[in-house]
Amino acid sequence: MSNALGSSTLHNAGNNAVGAGVAGMAVALTGITKRFGGFVANDGVDLAVRRGEIHAVIGENGAGKTTLMNILFGLLQPDEGSIRLNDEETVVADPAVAIKAGLGMVHQHFKLVPSLSVADNVFLGMEIRRHGLIDHAAQIARTRELAERFGLRVDPTERVGLLSVGIEQRIEILKVLVRGARTIILDEPTAVLTPQESRELFQTLRSFVAEGMTVIFISHHLEEVMEVSDTVTVLRNGKKVATRPTAELSKNELVRMMVGREVSFDRRPREPQHGDVVLEVKELWARDDRRLPALRNVNLEVRSGEVVGIAGVAGNGQTELAEVLSGLRSASHGVARLKDRNLAALSPAEIRAAGLAHVPGDRMVRGVDRNASIAANMLMGRQHRAPWSRGGVLNWNAIGQNASKLIKDFDIRAQGSGDAVKRLSGGNIQKVVLAREFTNGADFLLIDQPTRGVDIGAQEAIHDEIMRQRAAGRAILLISVQLDELAALADRILVMFNGRIMGEVAGDHADEDRIGMMMAGVAVPEFATEPA
Amino acid sequence: MMNDRLRAVSGQIIAVAVALIMGAIIILMVGESPVRVFMTLLRGAFGDQAKIAGTLLQTTPILICGVAACVGLRGGMFNVGIEGQLFLGGFAAAWVGFAFPLPAGIHMLAALALAVVAGAAWVAIPAYFRARYNTNEVVSTILSNYVAVLLTSYFTIFLFKRPGGWSETPPILPTAYLPGIFDFSRLNWGLVIGLVLAIGAALVFRYTSWGYGVTMVGSAPKFAEYGGVNVKWQGFVVLLLSGAVGGLAGGVETLGVHHRFMEGFAPGFGFDGLIAALLANGSPVATIFTALFFGALRNGSLLLEVDTGASREIITVIQALIILSVSAQALVRRRGDSQAGERRWKF
Repeated sequence: MSNALGSSTLHNAGNNAVGAGVAGMAVALTGITKRFGGFVANDGVDLAVRRGEIHAVIGENGAGKTTLMNILFGLLQPDEGSIRLNDEETVVADPAVAIKAGLGMVHQHFKLVPSLSVADNVFLGMEIRRHGLIDHAAQIARTRELAERFGLRVDPTERVGLLSVGIEQRIEILKVLVRGARTIILDEPTAVLTPQESRELFQTLRSFVAEGMTVIFISHHLEEVMEVSDTVTVLRNGKKVATRPTAELSKNELVRMMVGREVSFDRRPREPQHGDVVLEVKELWARDDRRLPALRNVNLEVRSGEVVGIAGVAGNGQTELAEVLSGLRSASHGVARLKDRNLAALSPAEIRAAGLAHVPGDRMVRGVDRNASIAANMLMGRQHRAPWSRGGVLNWNAIGQNASKLIKDFDIRAQGSGDAVKRLSGGNIQKVVLAREFTNGADFLLIDQPTRGVDIGAQEAIHDEIMRQRAAGRAILLISVQLDELAALADRILVMFNGRIMGEVAGDHADEDRIGMMMAGVAVPEFATEPA
Repeated sequence: MMNDRLRAVSGQIIAVAVALIMGAIIILMVGESPVRVFMTLLRGAFGDQAKIAGTLLQTTPILICGVAACVGLRGGMFNVGIEGQLFLGGFAAAWVGFAFPLPAGIHMLAALALAVVAGAAWVAIPAYFRARYNTNEVVSTILSNYVAVLLTSYFTIFLFKRPGGWSETPPILPTAYLPGIFDFSRLNWGLVIGLVLAIGAALVFRYTSWGYGVTMVGSAPKFAEYGGVNVKWQGFVVLLLSGAVGGLAGGVETLGVHHRFMEGFAPGFGFDGLIAALLANGSPVATIFTALFFGALRNGSLLLEVDTGASREIITVIQALIILSVSAQALVRRRGDSQAGERRWKF
């Protein structure tokens, strides 16, 4: 266990040499253990990355991937274990040490200055100077050269504030390259990208290894890992399960290693139902917080017993659509009707009374009060209703009993209804929200990113629950950035881009390429729907 | 849950202890013995019956102002204008007391009622701007203090001045007095009003539907909004109630202690109440104890200059140190929290 590199690891890795001129390890972590209070995030993890390979680190949410990378990059200090960089024992006291050793990290959240140009951002803190002044021309030239060499399409002179998330990521990668990184760590890089952008990113990663550089790639998307990596290390519950060459693995094996059992994301079986229209949205326009148009002429309807999916890269109007439908944002034009009641005329409380249940996308901020108990969280929205309240006075006995029942019914892992929500895992917090919203007796369920940040076991339970609600005749609008989730659950999938519905695809014909093109803003003629 | 509360309480106690130790160092620096100063404070606060009654007398306005602050904090509103509401409430009660003869009892209630209305009306301006235009209530309520203090001075000196050299209104009629509790002290039923308010506020927040909504507005406003609570309206209501209680504190002080309104009649009680509420983490019941602590400091300090070489300003220093260490603690805790939060989000 304490042995640095299991001999099988070395052996397997050796079978899969790609573009590596030098046999050597870019990174070797040995027996890394990291505890947060009583929680063990990493438990004796070994990770050996050969120079010149694309090494995927894969695992469920909470498996310890990000913690491990933060330790490698010097953002966290391990409680136990040692780190070797380029075959040299190194104490990575802070990121400066890691950068000096040739490591570079592209985080999930970008840190760019929106008012500066691309080149200025790339060279921020290490500007090229000439006579004491910043040499913009040289910075632009150098940025352009690097971008072209690695296929990172970006104009160095543009202002970052005007660019999309995908391009921002390229800038982050350029920043890392300029600082001399030979080993590049990417934390869930594809989470913010369209499928096409992801493919371009993979091309870039391949061009890195072609030049003898090394890539460590964190993900929980199986397809990507299968497509792009040479070697996979699987983490589960903070422990390393295995390190294997990708070519030897099937997707099923990989899932089994990640979860410890087989999980299917196949389409859920269903009875076709033709219910009445519950939600009707016509020519809806709305603005975002910056007063820019976020919804442009959205038309849709949801019938009872139907799951309508909304696909799209995050930030293309899905949040605003959910907010308008729940009364948290006003529309600038158009109508939304819930069972023939015009939502524009109703307050959030009245919309709930009219039959809305809402599982919000921003669960930690909108969905719960983290510091309050489970019971108090489950009371929200029904604090004026019997039996929880009579004559304005709360009955905490009834509230607690109801909460305990929901904890049991929805299999929430908690000690009791008095537990603070912040003590629960992401999946269980989401179940608290679902339990509250699905037992409201509402006819329309607005469900936004139900499984984001939730482990696979809980994902399945949440999907089961959504299908049960469908069978019970509820009308469901399911917003998700995960296509496999929509393909598994939705009867119809609408694709949003830049505030518009680009088109509609039947759930049983969900085709990743076609949806991906629409997500990227390309209208696919035979699927585009025009407003009636 | 219990564990959380225990941790919060022990955190506050440690913060106070740290402040007292730093205070001790400062006392050493001015050449006094910290032990002697603290013993004198203790003796001055609790030395005999009269001193205890004096401490409770000081505690009363701090407690009521503390409850006022708690009401605001619960709904996420930081009412820093309690001092001003107290002044207006005090003046309003005095005005009813000397200008409108009424039967005993009714007279007192009418005076207190106008104090409540005055406090609420005074905070209504910042509260309206907060609800309508989202202006920061901290700034607007702080500024309203100066206006309130000077406005009541103007009323006192130019409109209702009592003949003679003092800047004070004529005395109120005995029919408007808040009855005393003991013969040997000016301690009065205001203390009971404070205790009832503190416990009542705690019960309302815990056991009513309205209190639940307000609590959620304070602790998780986006969640409350999502759940159908009218966040802006509740914020307005809570500020108004907070101001009303602040006004009542002034009325109690006028009717129970001074029996007239004087310029600068109750310096700093509003701010002490706010500090007591913060030290109590916004819990009205815990504010009873923190208000007692600050009341004891105030009353004990009267003996300081008599018996020791330290100035009574040392208690102001200690209070400032308490504010610093309590807020430092909050920062440390928040940092730990946010790390934990990010971690949880990832896992």
